[in-house]
Amino acid sequence: MAYLTQPDYVKYICSCGQLKPITSLYFCRHCLKIRCGFCICHEVDSHYCANCLENMPSSEARLKKNRCSSCFDCPSCFHTLSTRATMAQPRQVVQDPAAGGDTKVESKQPKKMYYLSCFNCRWTSRDVGIPDQPVASGGWPERTNPHAARVNQLLEYYKAIALQEKQEKIERERKKFNIRGKYITLTDKTGLTGAMARNIAGLPSSESSSSAIASFVPSQAKEEVEELPEDIFTKEVNLNQITSMPQRLASPEWQPSSVSRLHPLAKLLSVKRSQRCRACDHNLTKPEYNPGSIKFKIELLAYYHVPEVKIISHEPVKPGGKSALLLKLTNPTGHEMQLRLLQPEDIPPPEEKEEPKSIEKSLERSLNLEKDTSSLKPMEVVCPPAATSRVRAPDATLTLAQRDDAAEYDDDAQHDTNDIIMWRKSNKLALRLEVETAEGAAGGAAAAALVALQYSYRNTVPPAAAAAQPRDHTLYTTVLLDLGTVSSN
Amino acid sequence: MALYEGIALIQEKQAVVLDLGTDYTKFGFTGEAAPRCIVRSEFWCPATRRYRRLHDYRSAAELYDNLVHMLHQLYFRHVLVNPKERKVVVVESLLTPTLFRETLAKVLFIHYEVSGVVWADSPRLCALTLGAPAVLVVSIGAKDVEVAAVVHSCVVLHALQSQPLGARAVHAELARLLDEHNGGPLHLDDQVIEDIKVKTCFVTSRARAAQWSSGRPPQPAALPGLRARLAAELRHLVTQPPYCDTLHVREFKFHDAPAAPNACAWLGGAVLGAGEAGAGRVLARDQYAREPRLRDWVCLLDNTPPAHPHRAYLDI
Repeated sequence: MAYLTQPDYVKYICSCGQLKPITSLYFCRHCLKIRCGFCICHEVDSHYCANCLENMPSSEARLKKNRCSSCFDCPSCFHTLSTRATMAQPRQVVQDPAAGGDTKVESKQPKKMYYLSCFNCRWTSRDVGIPDQPVASGGWPERTNPHAARVNQLLEYYKAIALQEKQEKIERERKKFNIRGKYITLTDKTGLTGAMARNIAGLPSSESSSSAIASFVPSQAKEEVEELPEDIFTKEVNLNQITSMPQRLASPEWQPSSVSRLHPLAKLLSVKRSQRCRACDHNLTKPEYNPGSIKFKIELLAYYHVPEVKIISHEPVKPGGKSALLLKLTNPTGHEMQLRLLQPEDIPPPEEKEEPKSIEKSLERSLNLEKDTSSLKPMEVVCPPAATSRVRAPDATLTLAQRDDAAEYDDDAQHDTNDIIMWRKSNKLALRLEVETAEGAAGGAAAAALVALQYSYRNTVPPAAAAAQPRDHTLYTTVLLDLGTVSSN
Repeated sequence: MALYEGIALIQEKQAVVLDLGTDYTKFGFTGEAAPRCIVRSEFWCPATRRYRRLHDYRSAAELYDNLVHMLHQLYFRHVLVNPKERKVVVVESLLTPTLFRETLAKVLFIHYEVSGVVWADSPRLCALTLGAPAVLVVSIGAKDVEVAAVVHSCVVLHALQSQPLGARAVHAELARLLDEHNGGPLHLDDQVIEDIKVKTCFVTSRARAAQWSSGRPPQPAALPGLRARLAAELRHLVTQPPYCDTLHVREFKFHDAPAAPNACAWLGGAVLGAGEAGAGRVLARDQYAREPRLRDWVCLLDNTPPAHPHRAYLDI
């Protein structure tokens, strides 16, 4: 809860340099690195309607322009519309008795008719003259874009021009190399004409493309312009009849300026996203397909793999002074964890991996060199964040027990306390540390301390075929602690 | 359905068209008649817990962040497609700052790994929606009004005019009038002023404006009566010196674009990107990887004519 409602006091430095709370970080088990939303690849996984929780295959979603076919939003207040049913008396055939016809009263059952209504702002589909529907869902009139025909003409015209451009280019190329080689081309051998070749290739014949160009009428400019209506100066302004900007932009095709032209908006679909590590292309999260489920099939969150640091309390930070800092460390993994606090500059630089020397690998590398994608590396923040204080890291290795859900119930804290460890309880540990603040820290400025963690991590990924990968790793992470403001006295 | 999927696999993915305006962003697919969404150019910033405008930036890094967040919202909230391996048509003003263009290119190619970007300027795209050979495009944006002549799909760059008399000018004037009437600053929200503007403002006729006789700024933005006033002003001005001696145009005609006025340039992008014409003008990802620079009309590398003696020294 604290992570949702409170500011982020403890931030981790992601492998890309971003500062994020642990709840918005991922942990790639294949690269053994912390990743964040900024340095991973997001992908659309599945489309669904957030209102009816109906899944929609992506091809169908594309056809329906990412809109649900049965749910609608209110065009006035954007709340979800509800379908209301009414009993409608079918219209009776009124016959003129003077005409001598016998008046037949049709004994039809009252029919159920449906209309859309907004429970929030009381807008109904009847307000704008949409007829009631005999079926509860679907069947609502669809509007077409008033400019659709003209846009299609334009598209055809420019397609034809592009084709002509292409043909001219080919033509020019052919003229350039007009020397007939010793090879017989397909057209010579089989007697294929150009038109047939085009037909085979699926290109429209040259006649049709030129006809598209010939029949195209450019837009005609008009001298007369729409004058301002005369009564605009005298008519009283009814603000309720004019749509607001969000109401207009909710339907980009029509952008109605009058309330009487508002139509129900088909609900926009939502997507479930899966996340992928950019470095190794493995999935970091993958949601379950069912739209009603909020669970994941793959969920490699940092919260489950990286030791969690929380600030219990701290003394006010004074320039040039020392203050106590109480930290709580938690081991979220199912294995015992060895933990050390370090200064951020003590983290050893990542060692270059020795590449296995095989022909394939070197070939791959030379191919990569040719591509040279070095300039396409994502932007990384290199400079570390500024910290006003230093944590006096104790020179001791701490052991954190594995996570044990059953241990939640016994509440007697283990008492192997010493001058650093304040208390210890199952996989949690409270530390008493000291913070030194720089002499020159300005009063009132934000106080922060950087501390590095060295922790052991057991990789539980099933190793790739017979590859003897080390299962235990020593990993490093850096944490920025927010210590309020530097007190001025 | 299986056949359909097969076709979708063979076909190239439908490209997206992106128009990042100062106030509103238009985003949608090529080949469609209207953008899928027109949204405010802002995004929710969880760190500061408020909406952040895309165009509020002080450094390239900040702009990079803004663009990443904005595009994420556009791709995954509105258009719902994967940005990866998909082409983008970027609709931009001719006066877009170089920093903005280059940062956008970086975000698209590096962060979102798009396969190619077509950079297209808005006057030409507006002219594209008309199909007429010679047009004068008056685009009234949030900040600037740009007037550019487009002759056979070429912008007459020397005749490009721009004045900061866009929607913001109306906005500021409206806020000033309200404050004045109130007798003190009201600190009205942007959205409130926008609402007042869109519901009540119009451009009055020339005759009435003459009666006002105060030197108030001209009223831009796509308001009712704007065209009529523009036509009246133009027809009046050509009879006045210095225009009556130098400008021998007496007729002013207006085109009707097949799109809403705020999505006209976007539609041009959608038309351009749909055909093969767009494919030929794309800046591909690997090309950008080899040489991360964009063509620009102000850059001597791009605008030196082939016969110019300096051309020989340029390594192009």
